[in-house]
Amino acid sequence: MKLYLLVSASVLLVAFLPRHECRAIESLGAVHSGPDDQSDLYQQSLPILVRLGEEYFIRLGSANQKAPPSTLNSSPGASSATINRALQVQLTQRLLQGNVGSVNRFLSSYGDQKEDAVEKGKRSEEPPISLDLTFHLLREVLEMARAEQLAQQAHSNRRMMEIIGK
Amino acid sequence: MSVTFRVQIYFFLICLSALKGQSRYLEDNDITQDGMFSILNSEIKRGLSERLLYRRPLRCIDMLTMEGQFTFTADHPQLHCAVFFIGEPQEIISIEYSSVNIDCNGGDFIKAFDGWIMKGETFPSSLDHPLPIYERYIDYCETGRLRQAVRSSQNVAMLFFRIHTPGSGFTVTIKKISNPFPCNVISQTPEGSFTMIIPHQHRNCSFSIIYPVEIKISELTLGHFNDLQVKKPVTGCGRAGDFVELLGGSGVDPSKMFPVADLCYSFNGPAEMKIGCDNTVVRMVSSGRFVNRVVFEYRLLERPELEKQKGNSVEDFCYSTD
Repeated sequence: MKLYLLVSASVLLVAFLPRHECRAIESLGAVHSGPDDQSDLYQQSLPILVRLGEEYFIRLGSANQKAPPSTLNSSPGASSATINRALQVQLTQRLLQGNVGSVNRFLSSYGDQKEDAVEKGKRSEEPPISLDLTFHLLREVLEMARAEQLAQQAHSNRRMMEIIGK
Repeated sequence: MSVTFRVQIYFFLICLSALKGQSRYLEDNDITQDGMFSILNSEIKRGLSERLLYRRPLRCIDMLTMEGQFTFTADHPQLHCAVFFIGEPQEIISIEYSSVNIDCNGGDFIKAFDGWIMKGETFPSSLDHPLPIYERYIDYCETGRLRQAVRSSQNVAMLFFRIHTPGSGFTVTIKKISNPFPCNVISQTPEGSFTMIIPHQHRNCSFSIIYPVEIKISELTLGHFNDLQVKKPVTGCGRAGDFVELLGGSGVDPSKMFPVADLCYSFNGPAEMKIGCDNTVVRMVSSGRFVNRVVFEYRLLERPELEKQKGNSVEDFCYSTD
């Protein structure tokens, strides 16, 4: 009887023991995924850019790269870039090193937490892919797109009337 | 006459008209003899939609406002390409991939972004979007075979892609899906009007106008209860309770813009404000306890008005960054 009591008590104790190791992992994860880290890294990362008349570049550099931005030697007499010119321009930039990491979803729960913390840490080091465009250029591109939409709508209406009229 | 009897009479009359075939007259239209019939012909209908589907090549840097099919083919390595999508305020964007011919292992990628991201700033802001920024990128190389179509949460989206090999490319089919309660919106035009309603939802919604504009708020309803609840006053501004804020700035992220005005109490009648910034945002903060609504119009500020604005110290922050 006493033996049974001892065994059941020990089983209960083992089942309800607090798991301190989980709390340690949670705090480790929190360090890597803080939003402040991301915003600090955004500020620290230098944009890799090419200026061609209008301000227009794609930010693809990583936070660790400290190279100064490169510029093209555009002619001093170049007028402010038209949209067509901006769209045809060839940019020379360094490649983004490494993609956004893929998440390995098949580890155990312990492994998942640690792996996610490491992945989040890696992702937070890389600034997100972004297009750097002035509002002026953005508005011009938007107005071009709207003009295209209106022209297409008129063309579509004309074709619809032709089809219905047959 | 009792209500039940009236209902029965109406039901009887409806059945009578249906049995008499009144609806058949709609099919016999004098205007087009074959007309509706020919339209209803499934083959013609299919041909119609095929012929009316807009198609054109996609550019490396592009902006799309309409539905259609767009094909990108690299004639040389294209390493830094981005496409903006924007719809009407009551629409969301669906992007469907087809004929994808890229080398994912060779460094090519196609990534859709839920929102717009410019200079590292996102719209909607990370505070107003349910997903963290990295989860707003959907990589075709990771999920493409499982997920051929991607849908945005609001009327704007972007696509980033890189293709190394000439001749490689892909096709995207863009569709617009109706969104009855739009939350985060970027306006296509510098002029217009909008009614923002947040019905019992704990969320913050922003309406962004990427122009310097005058905003005229004609109606603001905060803290409206239904008839079964007792009306209580909204706790004031100061980041508590439900309110509307007007923001101005030079980026797309509302959380990084400057508050120009806070509106904490319901009112009717126009309240006007000129905001001479590159981007103007009307943002509603909603606790979810009430049905909140704001009705406003906006128009572009002309150059003389902007010149006059520059002398006003209230909006110097908009010009200091240029």
